[in-house]
Amino acid sequence: MLPHRSRVAVLVFLLPPLLLYGVAVLLPILQSLGLSLFRWDGITPMEFVGLDNYVRMLGRDDVFWQAFANTLGYLAICLVLQLGGALVVASLLVALRRGRELIKTLYLLPAVISTVAIAFLFRQIYSLDPVGLLNQALDMVGLDGLQQAWLSNVSTVLVAVSVPEGWRFTGLYMLIIYAALMAVPAELEEAARLDGASRWQVFTKIRFPYIRPVWVTTAIMATTYALRGFDIPYLLTNGGPGQASELVTTYMYKSAFSHTDYGYASAISVFIVVECLVAVGLIIALLRRKENA
Amino acid sequence: MNPTRLTVAAGAAATALLLAGCSGGGLGGGGTDPADVAPAGEVEPREISWLLSRPADGGVITTMEQLADEYAAEHPGFELNLITTPDRPSYIQRLETLAAAKELPELFDIDATPFAQKLADQGRMMDAEALLTDIGVHDDYRPAALSYQRFDDGSLYMVPFEFQVELFWYNTALFEKAGVEVPATLDDFPAMCEDLRAAGTTPIALDGQDQWPLERYMAYQPFRASGNDFVRDLKRADASLADPVGRDAVAWIAALGEAGCFQEGFSSTGYADAQALFTSGKAAVYNIGTWELANLATDALDAGVRDDVDYFTLPVTDGAATAENEYVSPSGIGMAVNARTYDPLVRDFLEFALTRYPELYAKTGAISPTTTAETTIPDNATPLYERAVAEADAVGDVSAMPWDTQLDPTSNSRLQQELTLLVQGDITADEFVTTMDATIAEHGAAAFE
Amino acid sequence: MRRERLDVHRSLNGVFVGLIVVAQVYPLAWLFLTALRPEQDFASSNPFSLPGALTLDNFARAFETGNLGLNILNSLVVTFGANLLIVALGMMAAYALEVLGFRLRGFVRGLFLIGIIVPVQIALVPLFIDYAAVGLLDTYGSMIIPLAGFALPMSIYLFSSFYHYIPPETYEAASLDGAGPYRIFGQITLPLSLNTIVTIVLVNSIFIWNDFIFANTFVLSDGLKTIPLGLQNYIGAMGNVDWTATFAAVCVTITPLMLVFLVLNKAMIQGLESGAAKG
Repeated sequence: MLPHRSRVAVLVFLLPPLLLYGVAVLLPILQSLGLSLFRWDGITPMEFVGLDNYVRMLGRDDVFWQAFANTLGYLAICLVLQLGGALVVASLLVALRRGRELIKTLYLLPAVISTVAIAFLFRQIYSLDPVGLLNQALDMVGLDGLQQAWLSNVSTVLVAVSVPEGWRFTGLYMLIIYAALMAVPAELEEAARLDGASRWQVFTKIRFPYIRPVWVTTAIMATTYALRGFDIPYLLTNGGPGQASELVTTYMYKSAFSHTDYGYASAISVFIVVECLVAVGLIIALLRRKENA
Repeated sequence: MNPTRLTVAAGAAATALLLAGCSGGGLGGGGTDPADVAPAGEVEPREISWLLSRPADGGVITTMEQLADEYAAEHPGFELNLITTPDRPSYIQRLETLAAAKELPELFDIDATPFAQKLADQGRMMDAEALLTDIGVHDDYRPAALSYQRFDDGSLYMVPFEFQVELFWYNTALFEKAGVEVPATLDDFPAMCEDLRAAGTTPIALDGQDQWPLERYMAYQPFRASGNDFVRDLKRADASLADPVGRDAVAWIAALGEAGCFQEGFSSTGYADAQALFTSGKAAVYNIGTWELANLATDALDAGVRDDVDYFTLPVTDGAATAENEYVSPSGIGMAVNARTYDPLVRDFLEFALTRYPELYAKTGAISPTTTAETTIPDNATPLYERAVAEADAVGDVSAMPWDTQLDPTSNSRLQQELTLLVQGDITADEFVTTMDATIAEHGAAAFE
Repeated sequence: MRRERLDVHRSLNGVFVGLIVVAQVYPLAWLFLTALRPEQDFASSNPFSLPGALTLDNFARAFETGNLGLNILNSLVVTFGANLLIVALGMMAAYALEVLGFRLRGFVRGLFLIGIIVPVQIALVPLFIDYAAVGLLDTYGSMIIPLAGFALPMSIYLFSSFYHYIPPETYEAASLDGAGPYRIFGQITLPLSLNTIVTIVLVNSIFIWNDFIFANTFVLSDGLKTIPLGLQNYIGAMGNVDWTATFAAVCVTITPLMLVFLVLNKAMIQGLESGAAKG
């Protein structure tokens, strides 16, 4: 810390960001918290209902619980794709000699394309009637028995909507992990290799422990983004068929804007905030403990 | 200020704003009495806005733009600002936030939903019956076009700008190949589908993505059995899907699913894809309204199927309560007039526009909501175009109400979800009935107190 | 022996990377090809087959129905404005938190963390009411403020983790020379942050450029419509989308973003890497 800091300087630097943040983010959150105690359709006078919205959400609403279970599944798939996929690709890149820069750029491209176009593309890829790309590919490798309408089957739809979201932003996480891997001192790895360590051992004993702090950061980023995931499932299936791909976020949006049930939607958003706080807490606790052990 | 105090202050501000947001929710909020359609005063030209959900280059918008220009030429300073959001869910989100903040513009589009009914009850929309009568155009409108816009009590708060009939378009060549006839009654549908399937054809192209097309099928049997009475009772939980009318409807939908009526994976097929299935000759039947005439009855239609396309109207049932020429004939989303901003200018402009609108609009090849203008058949039309327009002129007075504008929104989205599951065979008819009756009992009963 | 195994490994690696690159690039290629495809050809044949013919009709339709130039301009204004706030305020907060330090910084950091976590959708209705109350609706500000506000925490986080690793000696030397907190910020911290700034700008630009939800909620007039709103112009009756025109418009509208992206790519990758390697 700076020796010459002063109270005034702290305020000069801190107040403007805090002001914007307070007005744009904290204020509406507090308002949501307040709204969650009311029943309100936006036009008739608000009616105070206490905790009834929470009671309904946790006790009486089967859609909410299904949405919550789906969200956990969605989160798991996104994490596997984004963290696992990013780690694999980053490791491959490190081993590559030429073209790294180009490949890194190309890898970021899907993030640029607008969601509307991505959703449309994946609807075609998953389609069965007419036969889409995925089903054509299955047919070509002789797995035509697996052909199906991926977005309409209640047991495949959740995976099908998670994949595009996971895939889109893998590039961002890959870059971060790649950078961390590049920073692993070459001498460490070389020494281990000379001691006869296998590639796998080098990875688990040297590389991974070295990048653990970065890993925590990316894990938190990926988790909170996934828990807030919204547009791809909303555009691809709108939560269907039935509630098979409904996420807590899409359900909240529907409660607010198709059901005009703002109080209930606010209760759900309070739940999302709590859910994210718990998730972040868990990640930090888990990864810290490992670090200390 | 320390952060804790800042938080407290923000909280106080939040509460104050929320209270401000919900105060002043009483009648009219200082605006015009909804029935006072001819307020006294001078016409003072200014800019007015119309929040609408219609295609940006469609007939309604181009016609109204032209009329607004003409009016502005006579009244310098006048401008009509058209704000369109064609995507309906995005539009509804926008409309609802504006209504919540009491910022609705002079004119706005809205369906005859429970939400609109609440706005009307609060005196926030002008009485359209009185307005149209005062302007002198009320009797020009087709009764079916107006009745589509009415609330259950018969009151009218929205002005229609279009008129459509929904038809079953079919491919005669595919029918012939499968040896099937146009279904005589609704109950012939499952057999028709099975025969088409057996011939290797997708029976019906369905846009499952947008939900409302499948919900139409839910409305057909009850409409034939009892007109719109069943859904009016059902939405208040005064009727049950376990009643005979409901049972028959649910069983029919399940039968459609079992017979494989819709393309595989219909739930994720979008509007354009469903239409492409039909226009490329892969699907035999396509249920859509006359707003698609330009795509289905002109030379824009794929040459491969152009000569094979025909249509039939909603079949009847044995002992049907409604006539053959009564089916879904919507007049589109309606335009409401904001009571709070209503003044001599708005009235004057509406008089100017509404009296001239039908003729100009009909020239675009569309069907006017009035009986006063003859639709211009485009040069590239197939013979089907003229027939479909004549069909619209021949509809009866009772229009089948689409259920998505009838049910409360929570029950409606649940119904849409469960319908997909029912057709796909993921749930049984009994489970469907139990879930829907419970949902409507919780939400419908409260929404229509 | 060992050499050979290594080579096999290498070429396997290469093949694998190549496959992944195909999966990443294919969508973009498909998008551009579809935009060049005649409408009828797209509707009637397999959407994945190569186009039967190429045409610029879709682009003509896209420009005719829409107002792409204006949409792009508006998106530029919003993206620029929001980025300015995100970067400037993010740096300031991170500087106060990491470099200056103060008693309640744990609390303030926690406060900002909430913003990383909450879904933006919850803010829509309250923000709308607030903006209506202060007359901010239907202005650039109504888009820029929430976009910047919700992106601010991540920006603070990235700057903080970067500042954390600037060795204290750097500041001490300057302090001894008599530089106050403002001069240190301007002369030491700011120049050192360049890479991180580029990174933050690019990552945020991707999201802001494609933002639909705030724009759709807060903007009404045509003159202020951003690109995602402009894409709505290609939706016809009852939701019938003119997909080929939409894709043409998407191609036109992502091009500026991609150009910036490619030009600044190297700087950005360095930024992400240096931030992360140290974070």
